[in-house]
Amino acid sequence: MIELSNLSVIFGRGTPLEKQALSGLDLAIETGSFVTVIGSNGAGKSTMLGVLAGDVIPTSGRVAIGGRDVTRIATAQRAKYVARVFQDPLTGSCGALTIQENLALAAARGSRRGFGLAIGSNRREEFRARVAELKLGLENRMDDRMDLLSGGQRQALSLVMATLAGSEVLLLDEHTAALDPGMAEFVMELTQSLVEKHKLTTLMVTHSMRQALDYGTRTVMLHGGKVILDVVGDNRRNLTIEDLIEMFRKARGGETLDDDALLVS
Amino acid sequence: MSQIAFLGAVELGLVFSFVAIGVYLAFRILDFPDLTVDGSFPLGAAVAAVLIIAGWNPWLATAIAMAAGAAAGLVTATLNVKFRILNLLASILTMIALFSVNLRVMGKPNVALINQDTMLTPFFGHGLSEFYVRPLFIGVLVIIAVFLVWRFLASDLGLAMRATGANPRMARAQGVNTSLHIYLGMALSNALVALGGSLFAQTNGFADVTSGVGTIVVGLAAVIIGETLFHSRLILWALVGCVIGSVLYRIAIQLALSSDILGLKASDLNLVTAVLVACALILPRLRRGRAAA
Amino acid sequence: MKFLTAAAIATLAFAQPALARDVTVDVTAIVEHPALDAVRDGVKDALGEAGFKVGENLTFNYESAQGNPGTAAQIARQFIGNGPDIIVPISTPSAQAVVSATRDIPIVFSAVTDPVGAQLVKQLQKPGGNVTGLSDLSPVADHVALIKEILPSVKTIGVLFNPGETNSVTLVELLKKYGAEQGIAVVESAATRSSEVQNAARALAGRVDAIYVPTDNTIVSALESAVTVAIESKLPLFTADTDSVSRGAVAALGFNYYDVGKQTGAIVVRILNGEKPGDIDINVAAGTDLVINPGAAEKVGLTLPKSVVDRATKVIQ
Repeated sequence: MIELSNLSVIFGRGTPLEKQALSGLDLAIETGSFVTVIGSNGAGKSTMLGVLAGDVIPTSGRVAIGGRDVTRIATAQRAKYVARVFQDPLTGSCGALTIQENLALAAARGSRRGFGLAIGSNRREEFRARVAELKLGLENRMDDRMDLLSGGQRQALSLVMATLAGSEVLLLDEHTAALDPGMAEFVMELTQSLVEKHKLTTLMVTHSMRQALDYGTRTVMLHGGKVILDVVGDNRRNLTIEDLIEMFRKARGGETLDDDALLVS
Repeated sequence: MSQIAFLGAVELGLVFSFVAIGVYLAFRILDFPDLTVDGSFPLGAAVAAVLIIAGWNPWLATAIAMAAGAAAGLVTATLNVKFRILNLLASILTMIALFSVNLRVMGKPNVALINQDTMLTPFFGHGLSEFYVRPLFIGVLVIIAVFLVWRFLASDLGLAMRATGANPRMARAQGVNTSLHIYLGMALSNALVALGGSLFAQTNGFADVTSGVGTIVVGLAAVIIGETLFHSRLILWALVGCVIGSVLYRIAIQLALSSDILGLKASDLNLVTAVLVACALILPRLRRGRAAA
Repeated sequence: MKFLTAAAIATLAFAQPALARDVTVDVTAIVEHPALDAVRDGVKDALGEAGFKVGENLTFNYESAQGNPGTAAQIARQFIGNGPDIIVPISTPSAQAVVSATRDIPIVFSAVTDPVGAQLVKQLQKPGGNVTGLSDLSPVADHVALIKEILPSVKTIGVLFNPGETNSVTLVELLKKYGAEQGIAVVESAATRSSEVQNAARALAGRVDAIYVPTDNTIVSALESAVTVAIESKLPLFTADTDSVSRGAVAALGFNYYDVGKQTGAIVVRILNGEKPGDIDINVAAGTDLVINPGAAEKVGLTLPKSVVDRATKVIQ
């Protein structure tokens, strides 16, 4: 269960560049649900994810994960509950470390890190098995540095890393946006199966209306730092991309959507 | 080059390989350009020298010198992490402050250790000449240090430190307290540098406040020579490279001193070092440039 | 015994064979500096006068450590490995590096203020072992007397120095001691690099009757900064370095470092002629020059007494 109550975030407070990114956002997410989040640029999607991850401390309001108030808990301390995959494949994994070192780093998330060898023989086997499931042949390259891999391979591994330490919440920040269509499809299928297998409460921010409806169990639209659409169940099943675009337009007071034309893709 | 001069160069290279490993930890692992070492090297020398003269066990004195170095690293880390002072500037502040601290520690600019028993004294007089005993003894310490640092960097904690330097955002997302690792890494780095300083004082018979001048450049030169030679991404080879690089650097200086090869004199050493380090810094960039084109 | 073994190995394996009457003298200094270079030249000339001539029967090697104690240590090993007849280290760190690395090659140090404190020797008389040399402890008591002679009303002397230089710290302590005997207070002002000298001098303005600069490499290198401030604040500037007088100091009573070098060279010659270093007492270098600059005195409203002018070995016009 994730609860965001009356969240406000103001950046650059008291400066000419002051910007209200979230204004009284309320959102409750049931354990195990897979929520897709859409909205135009500046709607507050990334800020909301940042608040959940701990990168952004809200100006007011409260964030709770599994009943624990984490509003002011730093990113690193929160990481035991929250796993995250970034839009940029270079951000989510460490290029200077090998594949298995990246996995070891993720596997120790939330537990006390000590002087024990990061890659013992048990872990080595476990990691190999997990990477083999991707069917990308990477299990034979476990000692290769991450920066030798393609963006898609890195995102796929980032997803594996996100599921290694038993986090409750998975945050996906347009994690397929930087990939070519084929790889994006592969990563989305992988996301779906990992989320189901590990029963993760998932929030996925996406620019693609199709992804927003094809995946997940609930869709939320943000605008002006607030939730303006929240569909689930039959309502959502019957929704088409065209309906979504129409709602988008209405929400924005009848503005045309030219800058968001790509949303359909 | 005479054998004694060669062994002397090896010995000094081994002493400075602790500096090289410390510099490697700060610059390469943590990505923290740390100039504190110019102060923590003489700090290690000063603390060890003063305690040895006061009659402390040289091993204990050296351990305390390392602790003092670690404390210096913590000061730089605090200025950077807690007070958000730019890393380079934070380290310069600590370095400058250490000049005064070192004078306070010693009570004068130069403390002599020529007649004192040091860590090495028990190993002298067993048939092997001092010229061999010194590099052998320090070599053993270097091997131990390389193993321990390598083992540390392969642990969960060490992995987290490497991630802190390489990709702090990712590290935090993986639950790594990056601030903690900057403290830890800077303490470790400067403790090793102070160990080098303390061994320098014990093998050369004096601690002098001026002995820190240029430590950072020597350390960087060693790291870079090692990287150029081994060109490996494996940590163990990088650490071995620091040691080999440091020894080769000293042998190069000894060559410049011992002959008229290339017409070099001791007075050209600073220029040679600067050119060497500049080349090594520029080369990877050129390589990258070519790769991009 | 083991040292002898090592030396023997080195000699057999590496050192060039020396001809019967040829000698090698290796000289090193911590840094290149007019005074230290003058010592080196003095040593060389003293050897020449005694019949050891470069190019004939003398090999004379010189290396400077460029201010880096690490390099000083390497130079020490270099020299010891070469197995010269005598090593002449100039300045404290160079001497320490050489002394700690050999106990059999004769060493004649020079320009060391406090050889016992630097642990080069156990005592000044009959030091024993392989080490002897010449101390250049400044005649600080004479400096205080000179200042008092030129400026009888002096109550407070400000001293500019770098607390990082061993010799300066020793000299400042002596200045305080001799000052106290004469009822003169001493105000310290420190500069750790040449760019700080001007501020350090300003800090003395208005608080002292005269400024004194010991043989301090940092201050002497930026003496002009101190001179400017001294003229501004009408304070006479006295130094222990005689070369500083032509740069604007009022008067200096100090060593002629070329003479110091010649005296050091004389000790080297004694050892080359068969004396043991351990039997040669360590003395403070003899002979000081009094150099005065009446023009500089005038600028700060001071007239040098006739007794001083008559005594001066050199007058800067």
